[in-house]
Amino acid sequence: MPGAPQSVPASDQSSPLGVTPLPRVHRGGRVFIFYSSALLLTGLVSLLFADLLWRTGWSASSTVLFALFVILFLLIAIGGMHGVFGFILRTFGDPRRITQTDYRGQSIAGTSTAIVFPMFNENIVRVYEGLRATYESLAKTGQLEHFDFFILSDSTDPDKWVEEERCWYELTRELDALGRIYYRRRTDNEGRKSGNVRDFLNAWGRRYRYFLVCDADSIMRGETLVDLVKLMELHPTVGLIQTVPALVNAESLFGRIQQFSNRLYAPVFIAGLNYWALNLGNYWGHNAIIRTEPFMQHCDLPQLPGQKPFGGQILSHDFVEAALLSRANWEVWLAYDLEGSYEEVPQGMIENAQRERRWCQGNLQHGLVLFAKGLRGVNRLHLLLGIFGYLAGPLWLVFLLMFNWIHWYQKYTGLSEFTVHGYLTNLSGTAHAFLVFIICMAVLLLPKVLALIDLSFDWERRRAFGGLARTTVGVVGETVFSTLHAPLLMLWHTRFVVTNLFGASVGWSQQRRGPDGTTWLSAIGRHWGHTLIGLVWGVFMWRLNQVLFWWFTPVFTGMVLSIPLSVWTSRRSLGARARKLGLFLTPEETKPPVELVSLRSQLRIHEMTDDTTPRRAHAGLAEAVLDPYVNAIHVSLLREKQLNPVYAEQLAKLGAGREEVRTLGRKLLTEGPAQLTAVERFLILTDAHAMVRLHQQAWLRPDESLAPWWRAAIQEYSHRD
Amino acid sequence: MESALTGPGALTDVSGRLAGRPLEEWNAAYAKVENYFHALRIRNKALLGQLVLRVLERAMKRAPVEPDHSATQIAAEEMDRIVTEWFAEVLHEPPTNTDQMLSTRGRLALLLADMPGKWQDQFLRPPPWPEEFVHSMRDAYLRAGPGFQLSKMTPRPFDLGPLTTLTNLGRIPYLKMVVAWTLFILLLFAVFYFTH
Repeated sequence: MPGAPQSVPASDQSSPLGVTPLPRVHRGGRVFIFYSSALLLTGLVSLLFADLLWRTGWSASSTVLFALFVILFLLIAIGGMHGVFGFILRTFGDPRRITQTDYRGQSIAGTSTAIVFPMFNENIVRVYEGLRATYESLAKTGQLEHFDFFILSDSTDPDKWVEEERCWYELTRELDALGRIYYRRRTDNEGRKSGNVRDFLNAWGRRYRYFLVCDADSIMRGETLVDLVKLMELHPTVGLIQTVPALVNAESLFGRIQQFSNRLYAPVFIAGLNYWALNLGNYWGHNAIIRTEPFMQHCDLPQLPGQKPFGGQILSHDFVEAALLSRANWEVWLAYDLEGSYEEVPQGMIENAQRERRWCQGNLQHGLVLFAKGLRGVNRLHLLLGIFGYLAGPLWLVFLLMFNWIHWYQKYTGLSEFTVHGYLTNLSGTAHAFLVFIICMAVLLLPKVLALIDLSFDWERRRAFGGLARTTVGVVGETVFSTLHAPLLMLWHTRFVVTNLFGASVGWSQQRRGPDGTTWLSAIGRHWGHTLIGLVWGVFMWRLNQVLFWWFTPVFTGMVLSIPLSVWTSRRSLGARARKLGLFLTPEETKPPVELVSLRSQLRIHEMTDDTTPRRAHAGLAEAVLDPYVNAIHVSLLREKQLNPVYAEQLAKLGAGREEVRTLGRKLLTEGPAQLTAVERFLILTDAHAMVRLHQQAWLRPDESLAPWWRAAIQEYSHRD
Repeated sequence: MESALTGPGALTDVSGRLAGRPLEEWNAAYAKVENYFHALRIRNKALLGQLVLRVLERAMKRAPVEPDHSATQIAAEEMDRIVTEWFAEVLHEPPTNTDQMLSTRGRLALLLADMPGKWQDQFLRPPPWPEEFVHSMRDAYLRAGPGFQLSKMTPRPFDLGPLTTLTNLGRIPYLKMVVAWTLFILLLFAVFYFTH
């Protein structure tokens, strides 16, 4: 392995080769221009809205409504400006990109990079096949020797644990990658994903100059991995480079719409983000390369003071880690034009909301980090935008309710609707309101239109999306869907924010999925409240004002139709039909990269060959005890863990090696696993000696002294091929 | 040389017993041993049968002098002994009664050397073995990770300034109740304010 990393933060070194970090004043100028544009637009439209409110007679309610309008419009104006600035940069060229310099000739000799896959009770086949695709792609570059792969398991399900070990061995055998792909399971889950990565760094971090974090569903092209290392080598002041993962492999209609919008809009949007963030970019938790040494030095996250939801462990660690690197003068870049970085997307609205729920809690917590001393202003902006990504939901809901309230109040108090003239004397009140509405819609849709225009300039990309006409139809379809989906997200986000603020967690049992997507029963369970709210609200609006009712139809329609919308958009069959019609096509669908083709074919092989009969309860435990090879792998890994004093201490703390584990082992054999608690079963699995003894005893003991469960397991085990 | 199974002793006696035990007992013992070798992925039926008989042969020798143990138990013990002794020979490690790790190492070596795929014919065979087989068995070592290079990341607490005081508000007893009441009062105030 190469020696210790030699890197210096930006402040300690004169301009590195290639990209010159902008002097602070220039970045400040960019931030000023960007946010001033958004503010200017917000100011003008707010003035128009204030005038509208003035015409109806200003009241206390109007003040609240106006304040909410300003905040919400500012948010969509910022979104719109990302589109505008991104479009301009993509059209006229962006000289301030991390990839701008010629880095291809850079050598990576002497470097060492760990590619880590943290996982937590995941679909093992999918994770390992993603790793295989990445590994094989990297092998083709001829630079494999500079990389090691780590599967960092935090799985708490004993069956998953054993399966992960077995599959890891099989994968390494198939790829001839023993000593190149490693497996480590933690004994506890302290710190969740960030704790998992920290544990890896504490054990092996010093061996690697860089590490690249992947998600369980990540796939990376080998060339991209090598390029990232080259970029890091070329820019010694860079601490982190985040790629922009393309969403891939979606089959449901919902998933395909999401990946279509991601692939079409993200290049423009992220170019806009890079305009003002520059070398104070952000980290999204995966598909990013990180310089190990500064990360270890500066990014161990402290516990936040106070109680939940703000206090305690930082859940959305990525934004904060980027902020901490920047605080220590390390550059963080978004390599938004680097292709070959992929991740997957939830296949249905409910799964998507489930993910949003986790992120919501983490992002709200940033409300406290926002005030931490020493952070860069740009990083505070990243944190703030992340918080408002979720606060916008409840704010929008309050805005709509307040709007309804004003109308109800006016109707039932007999006040006339338009009392005085404002700026626009030629316009009727309705036309004035319509103008404000149209401007809001225009700003909201502007990034989409600009992304479409951007696409029209690039023949190759246009073709990859299935042609301009089909893409335009796709954008219209996506916009219709987003319009229906947005009110549901509003309700969900409101629920998440409110429950989080009160320190409660949102109850969310496992959703039932049929072979083709969300089941009707599951959708009814999740959406009945949305439907009810939509119906009640719709009736209320109809009785209040029938003209206003039609203005609000997009909001009600999404809610009222939430159940069929959730079920139908989760359907693979509808996704396939849309694909057949050439709708929502992405470059990865029209011209799939080798890595994705390889992944799909491997998964297909698994589908055809894997035993699909449901496994008996505690099948993993049975395998770890009975299978001579799985037992040997499991015990060897436990023994190797003992070599690390930290792990050894943790194992001892758990109780491994104590006499009581032997007693539990005997009970396991004579009474069966169901008579032990989950903790007790886990304890046995963490004890190497107990596992060796159990293997021997399970095979040596006469059948009469084994629980019927074991006899059945041995029978079953012995007859399988 | 005659073995317990091929010699006169292998025949059942007048009461239909083998080595002093009923045939059913040996049948169960056969199944047990066969199951284990099957679990070791010995798929060649001729070889499998031969290996099982070799174990039973030793078990039958013990059976008459150990009436308290079932044939299955004796056969399982013999199987364990034969396999462990063979591991000790191949891996060049003396067998000990206390350390059962030899068996683990041996099984792991079988897996890493791909015994089920390449070397089934060598399993439990007395020496000499092919050089390549011996090398792959002795060199087999499973590494879950490279050598540890331990370090310790240390978190640096955030300086939240006066906000730290606010974060401690959560410790006030009945805070949630007080907040709920305050919100209720504010709601009443807002209703009054907006309607007048």
